[in-house]
Amino acid sequence: MKSLPNHSILKSCLEGGGPKRELAIASIGCLFGTTMLLLALQFFQDATDYLEQNEGTKNYFTLNKKVEGGALVNLGKKDESFSPAELETIRSLEGVKRIGGFLRNQFPVTVYIWPTGKVGMGSAAKADLFFESIPDEFLDFIPKSWSWDENSSFVPIMVPKFYLDLWNFGLAPSRVEYPTLSQEAASGMPIEVFIGKNRKDTLDGRFVAFSKRINSVLVPESFLTWANQKFGQPNAGDFFFLWKNESIDGPPRSREELIELSQKPAFNNWEISPLGHPADRAPAMSVFKTDDKIIHPSRIIVEVIDSPSSALLTFIEESGYELNREFPEQDLVKKILKGILSGMGGIGALLSLLSITTFATSYRLVIARVTEHAHNLLLLGFSRKQISQIFFSRFLRLFSWVLTGSFILGYTSKYFLLEQASRMNLTLPTGFSIESIILLGVYGFLFSFINKRVIEKSVSDLIR
Amino acid sequence: MLIELNKVVPNPLPDKIIKTSEIWNLHLRIEPQSKILISAQSGMGKSTLLHLIYGLRQDYTGQLLIEGQPVKQFTFVQWEQWRRRSISLVFQDLRLFPHLSAHENLELIPDINPSAPSVEEMVNRLGLEPHLQQPVSTLSHGQRQRIAIIRALRKPFRLLLLDEPFSHLDESNQNLASELIKEVVEQQEAGLILSSLGSAPALSFDHQYSL
Repeated sequence: MKSLPNHSILKSCLEGGGPKRELAIASIGCLFGTTMLLLALQFFQDATDYLEQNEGTKNYFTLNKKVEGGALVNLGKKDESFSPAELETIRSLEGVKRIGGFLRNQFPVTVYIWPTGKVGMGSAAKADLFFESIPDEFLDFIPKSWSWDENSSFVPIMVPKFYLDLWNFGLAPSRVEYPTLSQEAASGMPIEVFIGKNRKDTLDGRFVAFSKRINSVLVPESFLTWANQKFGQPNAGDFFFLWKNESIDGPPRSREELIELSQKPAFNNWEISPLGHPADRAPAMSVFKTDDKIIHPSRIIVEVIDSPSSALLTFIEESGYELNREFPEQDLVKKILKGILSGMGGIGALLSLLSITTFATSYRLVIARVTEHAHNLLLLGFSRKQISQIFFSRFLRLFSWVLTGSFILGYTSKYFLLEQASRMNLTLPTGFSIESIILLGVYGFLFSFINKRVIEKSVSDLIR
Repeated sequence: MLIELNKVVPNPLPDKIIKTSEIWNLHLRIEPQSKILISAQSGMGKSTLLHLIYGLRQDYTGQLLIEGQPVKQFTFVQWEQWRRRSISLVFQDLRLFPHLSAHENLELIPDINPSAPSVEEMVNRLGLEPHLQQPVSTLSHGQRQRIAIIRALRKPFRLLLLDEPFSHLDESNQNLASELIKEVVEQQEAGLILSSLGSAPALSFDHQYSL
């Protein structure tokens, strides 16, 4: 016995006209469903990768003492710094790998940023600013131009990447004179750094990097140490109440102001008390008794082995410290993105499911239209597999077009969406990842498998 | 191929027919390679018997066994293989594909019996050569019957079932067809069950039953 070359004749018996409208609806539904599912999968992957790459690592956080009270009280600048003993205690806590102190500027800083790339051209963004520094080993990376000495032509400045996003998505869209900036463009902007109350000293500055870990305006430690020595106001931060005739006279006064008042004859009769400690009154002349103050950090960066341990969290709570994870808002962004993409994937899956059902129904109709022929072929001894294969091949031809269409549509959509994203300085990989393509393959296989079973069942039912 | 009917009664069949039948509700054994003629008027269950053996109907009481196995226990795949390799049937309504040519209808079988005469030879012997490329829908019923007979003979079989195969054939064509059938059945060492409205075709039978 041998098989006959009758496949084309067999096909001609089973390929009658199908329910065109139903098949068109199923194909369109499947096209959009698959495209949405594919894009949702790909964007989910892209977004997760992007956020992971741009996320501050979770084992870094900063600690400071809680700031309490209103402006009047806090003008006295109660000492918020960590003492060496406190630093040692934190360092010895379970899970703490290392700690580093933030050094901050002790002089007023104002910066003029020239987004046009040339000082004096266009409008400058002006801001009173602060500088901090941390030991280099706590930086997520050390930029090329990070080193500084007195002969350097500019002060390297590192700001959080988040600041650039704020500029691009917040400031620039609302001000025509401020262009959106890529990291490269932002690095090229000249910055005038004015130091002192009357801006008597000017330095040149440059953004040299955008940190994804440290939420502060950083300059090299060498620069800040030098600048604090040169421009620092060592007594800044010391505020006192002035007592005249057993009652407080006016608002708190800084040590500098009191020194100026010492020219007055009555100064010797007056008293002063530290802010927050009115009982500790002392003669006003004691304002001159200043030791060289050793500056301790008021904010520290802590690296832990893993996430902060419960012992560490309890210690922080009990000590009245405040813990800040760097860039925690990214968790929210991630959640929102996950929500949107899950919704998109869900709609895609629902559309796909509906299209599977529509395809299944359509193919039952396709088979129903050629019931008599299919039945007779089974009676002649053709197997269910042979008959089903004809219908399944027809399905596969259509489904391949739909899958190819989904791929092209998805690719094109992503291309245009990426163009939009690049305008916002969001760089995502083009095309589809191998994982997405594999998942598309698995999806196609499942879709085909379900339809194959439906077709086989419909064919079997013809002769029961 | 051994066929056994143990008190088989198809549903629905009037009691009157069952009582006078030489097949229904009786024990009947059809030996391998035997030639059987079933003759009866219309509506007595001739096609039903052939359809039961071909697995087209399961609505009966009693027991039908093929080669000792109750056919109700046959799986879907067993029936597929049975129809493909062991049994061939000329349907009363022929079941040809009207949009195909006579030749295409003859090609449309799942397996071919290599020892059967060639299509050309059988077509020539039954006088169908001029009509081979014509769509079946344009052929007369007698011509279609002959096409259906050739198709059945081209398939491999150990039992050939013929359901009123000569109802639209004149005597001369009946003789030609009978001769061809006899030759192929003997060559195949197969059995044969033929149903007829009454007139006996020009074939020799081992047994003849009335329904």
